[in-house]
Amino acid sequence: MTKCPVCGAEVDVAAIKAQTGTTGGGAREMDPRAGTRQFHDGQWFYFDTIECRNNFTMQPDRYLSGQG
Amino acid sequence: MNFGYSPEQEALRSEVQTFIRDNVTDELVEEMDIHSGTDRPRGRGPLGQALYRQIGERGWLGIAYPSEYGGQGGSRIDQYIVEEEFLRAGIQISMIGSGAPAILAAGTEEQKRYYIPRLIRGEVSFCLGFTEPHAGADLANLRCSAVRDGDEFVINGQKMYTTSAHVSTHIYLMARTDRTASKHKGISIFIFPMDTPGLTVRPLWTIQNNPSAPKFTTYGAARTNEVFFDDVRIPASALLGEENDGWRVGSMGLNLDRVGAGRYLISVRRDEDIINFLKSDEALGARLSESEVVRDKVAELWTEAQVCRLMTMRSMSIVERGGAFSYEGSAEKVWAPEHGVRISESIMQMLGPHGSLLRGSPHSVQDGLYAHNVMGSFQSGINHGSVQIMRDQVARRGLGMPSSRGNKAAGVK
Ligand SMILES: Cc1cc2nc3c(=O)[nH]c(=O)nc-3n(C[C@H](O)[C@H](O)[C@H](O)COP(=O)(O)OP(=O)(O)OC[C@H]3O[C@@H](n4cnc5c(N)ncnc54)[C@H](O)[C@@H]3O)c2cc1C
Ligand SMILES: [Zn+2]
Repeated sequence: MTKCPVCGAEVDVAAIKAQTGTTGGGAREMDPRAGTRQFHDGQWFYFDTIECRNNFTMQPDRYLSGQG
Repeated sequence: MNFGYSPEQEALRSEVQTFIRDNVTDELVEEMDIHSGTDRPRGRGPLGQALYRQIGERGWLGIAYPSEYGGQGGSRIDQYIVEEEFLRAGIQISMIGSGAPAILAAGTEEQKRYYIPRLIRGEVSFCLGFTEPHAGADLANLRCSAVRDGDEFVINGQKMYTTSAHVSTHIYLMARTDRTASKHKGISIFIFPMDTPGLTVRPLWTIQNNPSAPKFTTYGAARTNEVFFDDVRIPASALLGEENDGWRVGSMGLNLDRVGAGRYLISVRRDEDIINFLKSDEALGARLSESEVVRDKVAELWTEAQVCRLMTMRSMSIVERGGAFSYEGSAEKVWAPEHGVRISESIMQMLGPHGSLLRGSPHSVQDGLYAHNVMGSFQSGINHGSVQIMRDQVARRGLGMPSSRGNKAAGVK
């Protein structure tokens, strides 16, 4: 578990990454409701919603400095 | 200069029309419908595969592709005619996408022999993995990284708006291979299967999701995707073109992908649909077609649509003759989507309140086709290179103007 850097909500990293299906082309599929993530400066950050991630994308420094 | 078709081309068109009348059923269109929620790669169902066999036997698949790679070595205009007729019937047989032209231009002999015939037969399909959360119009900002490790590359990062990722067999990916080089220099293109371990797909639902768009909607896809890469290992043979030359290869592919029936018909289809509706027996259509205002508007929009057609013909003729094709496709990609917005709005005005009802609503017109087209028309001004970025390309490449400071970073898309 980790915290969404934008709103502070609890985020279940394992659930975000868990495979919940398979596409017709054979790719592993994930549940969109479990949250999402972003690869930033060589590191993954996890978010409860895509809206939070959009805020992070626009101003990453604001949220990273907030994290300390 | 000849703006028409030859007698042989007219004969080909009527042969294709006859074939479609005799063979294309509602079930087939349903099976191959890209808007339906199906997870099956397009053309891979039993009816689709039978269709590919039938049209392959007639020599109508990959007409303009070289015969050594499974094509017919024929003319682009012939291919265009076949694709146009099938698109009108709701079936996309063209392998729309940047992959095929990029492979032909930059691929190894092995890549051409493997991919081109399979793309033509619909056995393989690519999704376009370019855009990222922080790299859209400014694509050269992309951060998805591919690091060489012996005979392999290891990919980490993510892609956004990867349309068709859930129905494609392969991804055509742009990634950063040199972090130290300048933005446009350290980029490479890779093609590899979607079932490679470490690759995951997450759906993003579009404004066409609920209710789903009716058949024949332009840009009616209910779903696009995000794609994540966690230590995805791919062989170095997945590299397309030279390492770190991906910006050039990718831009060229995108540009060439703007040539042909797939893109053109998206804009003109709406004109054809409303004209057919106005001329049909439907009471609303018949009543509207008597209005002078409606007739005036429809004639004006039809005239605009012919500009799309002429631009497409010009692009095809440049590419067919092997000429330099740079800003012409960008100009087409400005005119066609904006025409699409204008016509969709005008149709809403003509149809009145019923025109804004979505699929499945009582009183919707043609099952909500025109209402769904309005939403699609706005998408087509953004995807595959937004109209603003296309204008920038016309200004720089076509009119020889310098890059504006703000647009220096803005890239191919
Ligand atoms: C339905 C849909 C399907 C798509 N499918 C794919 C796909 O399959 N694969 C893929 O890789 N991508 C795909 N895309 C992504 C698409 O290519 C991008 O949305 C597009 O490049 C714009 O990037 P952005 O969304 O990040 O917007 P931004 O880059 O944030 O731009 C926002 C707006 O600002 C304008 N703008 C930005 N910079 C400038 C500038 N310098 N000058 C003037 N105006 C500017 C843009 O034109 C746009 O209108 C798809 C998008 C949509 C909507
Ligand atoms: Zn959050």
